[in-house]
Amino acid sequence: MDAPDTTEAPTQKSRLPRLRMSGRGMWITFLLVPPLAVMALFVIYPIVSALAYAFYDWQGLRRGEFVGFANFSKVLFDEPFATTTWNAFKNNVFVFFALMIIQNGLGFILAYALWRDLPGARFHRIAVFLPVVLSTVIIGYVWKLFFHPIFGAVNQLLRSVGLDVFAGPWLGDPDTALNALIFVNAWAWVGFPTLVFLAGLQRIPSEILDAARMETDSELLLIRKIIWPLIAPSATVCFILLFIGSFNWFELPYIMVGLDGSPFGTTDVLGLYFYRTAFGNQSAGIQDFGMGSALAVLMFLFIAVVATVWTIYLRRREIEV
Amino acid sequence: MSNTGTYEKPGLLGTFGRDGLMQIILIANTIVMLFPIIIMVMSGFKSNVEIFQSPFSIPDFTDISNFVAMATQTSFLRYLMNSFIVTGASILLLLTLGTMAAYAIARYDFFGSSFILLFFMAGLMVPLKLAIIPLFILFRDLGILNSHWALISVYTAMGLPSTVFIMTGFIRTLPRELEDAARMDGASELRIMWSVMIPLCRPALVIAGIYNLVPIWNDFFFPLVFIQDDALKTLPQGMTTFIGEFSTNWGVMFAGLTLAAAPITILYIVLSKQFINGMTAGAVK
Amino acid sequence: MKKTFKLLTLGLAATAIAAPAVAQDLSFWSWRQEDRAVYEDLIAAFEAANPGITVEFEAFEASSYATILSTALAGESGPDMMMVRAYGAFEAVAGADYLMPITQDDVPGLASMNETALLAQTLREDGEIYGVPFASQTMLVIYNKGIYDQLGLSEPDTWDELLANAQAIEDAGMFAFANGTATAWQNETIVSALGSSTIGQDFFREVVAGTTDFTDPRFVAGLEKVQEISAYFPDGFTGLDYASSQQLFVSGLAAMFAGGSFEIANFRNQNPDLEIGVFAAPGPSADDAKLVGVFFDGGYAGNASTEHAEAVKKFLAYTATTEFGQVFANELRNITPIQGVTLTDDLLNEVAQLNQSAVPYIMLTNFRYEEPSGSVLLQAEVQKMLAGETTPQDAAQAVTDGIATYYAPFQD
Repeated sequence: MDAPDTTEAPTQKSRLPRLRMSGRGMWITFLLVPPLAVMALFVIYPIVSALAYAFYDWQGLRRGEFVGFANFSKVLFDEPFATTTWNAFKNNVFVFFALMIIQNGLGFILAYALWRDLPGARFHRIAVFLPVVLSTVIIGYVWKLFFHPIFGAVNQLLRSVGLDVFAGPWLGDPDTALNALIFVNAWAWVGFPTLVFLAGLQRIPSEILDAARMETDSELLLIRKIIWPLIAPSATVCFILLFIGSFNWFELPYIMVGLDGSPFGTTDVLGLYFYRTAFGNQSAGIQDFGMGSALAVLMFLFIAVVATVWTIYLRRREIEV
Repeated sequence: MSNTGTYEKPGLLGTFGRDGLMQIILIANTIVMLFPIIIMVMSGFKSNVEIFQSPFSIPDFTDISNFVAMATQTSFLRYLMNSFIVTGASILLLLTLGTMAAYAIARYDFFGSSFILLFFMAGLMVPLKLAIIPLFILFRDLGILNSHWALISVYTAMGLPSTVFIMTGFIRTLPRELEDAARMDGASELRIMWSVMIPLCRPALVIAGIYNLVPIWNDFFFPLVFIQDDALKTLPQGMTTFIGEFSTNWGVMFAGLTLAAAPITILYIVLSKQFINGMTAGAVK
Repeated sequence: MKKTFKLLTLGLAATAIAAPAVAQDLSFWSWRQEDRAVYEDLIAAFEAANPGITVEFEAFEASSYATILSTALAGESGPDMMMVRAYGAFEAVAGADYLMPITQDDVPGLASMNETALLAQTLREDGEIYGVPFASQTMLVIYNKGIYDQLGLSEPDTWDELLANAQAIEDAGMFAFANGTATAWQNETIVSALGSSTIGQDFFREVVAGTTDFTDPRFVAGLEKVQEISAYFPDGFTGLDYASSQQLFVSGLAAMFAGGSFEIANFRNQNPDLEIGVFAAPGPSADDAKLVGVFFDGGYAGNASTEHAEAVKKFLAYTATTEFGQVFANELRNITPIQGVTLTDDLLNEVAQLNQSAVPYIMLTNFRYEEPSGSVLLQAEVQKMLAGETTPQDAAQAVTDGIATYYAPFQD
């Protein structure tokens, strides 16, 4: 705005601050514009577009006419799409609750055990976190081979210790397939909540603990009344991240059971269904960006709304303590 | 530091008993964590028959034919190279851009600064995977579909919010004095940032870098959609190709999986502390 | 701007046709990376016969080919010529006006091809042909001759003989069938390979005509047979994926593989010592026609907006000649719809013989045009049925209901 001033000689004292301001303004602009542009182009624009796309009919990559909420109603209410959608959603919900118990629950127990700083704790800490850094593709393939009904290590191990009755087609049996996936996910990720909880535990001032231990000799009571409330921020993070992760679940089922959520949809989740709809698979032969976008928008809204409300609730709980 | 030994009274199991139980849990867990990885590595040295008949035996570690087959008969090395290029470029870009934004937000008072921080924070919550369709069309229009630029763009954008978050928090804690002294000396803003402030940011840069390194290095979803040319595939996606090629030879498959896991595992073991701090950075702030 | 450009290119194209000495470079896209060498030989022969035209072969990965092609075509950067899939996937490309319609005048070889082959490359809405069909695939039973000989078994003539063979193989301590159902699409090939003869030709004719649907007792009987014989699939076959099934057969642990003729080349590659035979799974009685399921892989098509239309037509005409078919069939071990081709490979000859009494691979040929496709439905229902979670009746009902959501003849 005050561009003409900048040409003046900088020696005039009265001019200096304003000059600095405008120079600084340009400097700040220079710092902010590139990152904001990247965000706008590759995050904001695609998210907003996804919303818009859901309202159109698509032929391949070509956008057709505006169809209002038709794609949404198709996905939610028209058979057989509705059954698939709700079945996938139901599986996502199951996965989330199962992982809350297994992954976060075990994570807390392990964190508590590591916190005692027993001999070898450092080694245990490195071991529990190792799968977290590995690619889901590696984890998926390794476990898929382990779960092989005939030659897989899991069944071989069971047979070698005389538990033949438990050996089964883990990923082919509708009763065990999803549980097997959940187990693998928990195996791979348990290190994350463990170390987040551990970081929370390590930040508890020892005076508080010492004081509390004077009052009670029940460690369980101590955990419930003192420790758990004090690490509430860690819990918030673990819960919310698990929630988002569970409803975006894609890579692991994709590698281990395929795009169709084999067997017959018992492991189908929204991520697979979304990918199948948007990018097709061989057997469907058709890709439908309209329905795919509608699914994406619904997933996005669900995740955003629940995560936000839940975060607010959990944060409030943290403050109350 | 340590909280053990401070118990005055024994609990349910008695102090020793409880620690014993905890130790058992830890050891059992470590076995469950490491056993599959050990089996994977050992199977890489075996033939099909050996894997099927004695899956848990110790193999002949001098027989590296499976690994040789993987390295010479597949594009493994090319995928590895592509992963290095894409991850390296993305991390460099997102650290640069993220630090720029964080520096502006943390060091200067200007109208809208908290709004901009909030804008980046919102990005933390956005699952960008769900915007894959528009991204696909955007990259097609930009002519960078089926190129590394598509991946670098999306990874940079994905990593910016966390980088801005971590860097802003850190830069805010840096003392003003150094900066003011430099300003007194007549150093330009660029010079102050580059030679005075950035060197101090190194620990935070490492944290932000590792926080983003692991998900970018391991990403499978975006290349699955954006990259079709085999020569451009990154390791996680390329893995599906070579696993497909050797789908009847388990030894070679396990060798491939072992090789694919090796770079990040070695880096992790060497830098385990930084990895753990880095990856849980967003979470424990 | 665009108009002048178009005029200019038209002008250029015209001069190119008038003066064939001016080089015409055609691009040709394919999803068969593994067939590059043979295609390059075929192209060299074509170039030698047609001076002035050069063809550049470019191959992409099969699984992403459709996306690459539709992206390129939509962005007007598509090739002059390309391999296209058949049926529903073909319509996705042809229906968007990307392809050049071809007639017998352009490609004389079409005249001698049979109708099923041409149907695979015909757009239903205008009845025009847009591609030269190139290969058919057959669903049948592939078996290990060594094991059959060793146990003194012969190719079965009735369903009961097939069961008896399977029992004999199991008694000898081997897997009768290598098949598993964990990979969804395998369920569809299994039904076609094992059930077609029981279902019978009439049913397929009627279902295509829309006078019956999949709840027809003949189709249900086919599913029942598949369910019956799944007792001879490996233990835990519901968890056995496609690659594992292939492995069981290739390693000689299993004697039979119900699947597609496209497996043969792969099996031979993986284990050159394997002696392979093929047969069509029989029906209940020896008098029932022994049927295989057949579909066409795809065709060669020209880009509607190519600058070298005449040169493209020349090349397409070439792909329908006996000369081309001979090399295509014998080098790439495919069964071609081109007449007058002699197959040097005995096994392929046998498959070609079986093709003489065939039924369509029905879900692909007729019900893969809309969502939910018949394939997706059948695969899931058969997977369910073989896991013991549904009956053949209910499976057939569910498939019919799914298709009925968009297919009028099934709606009453």
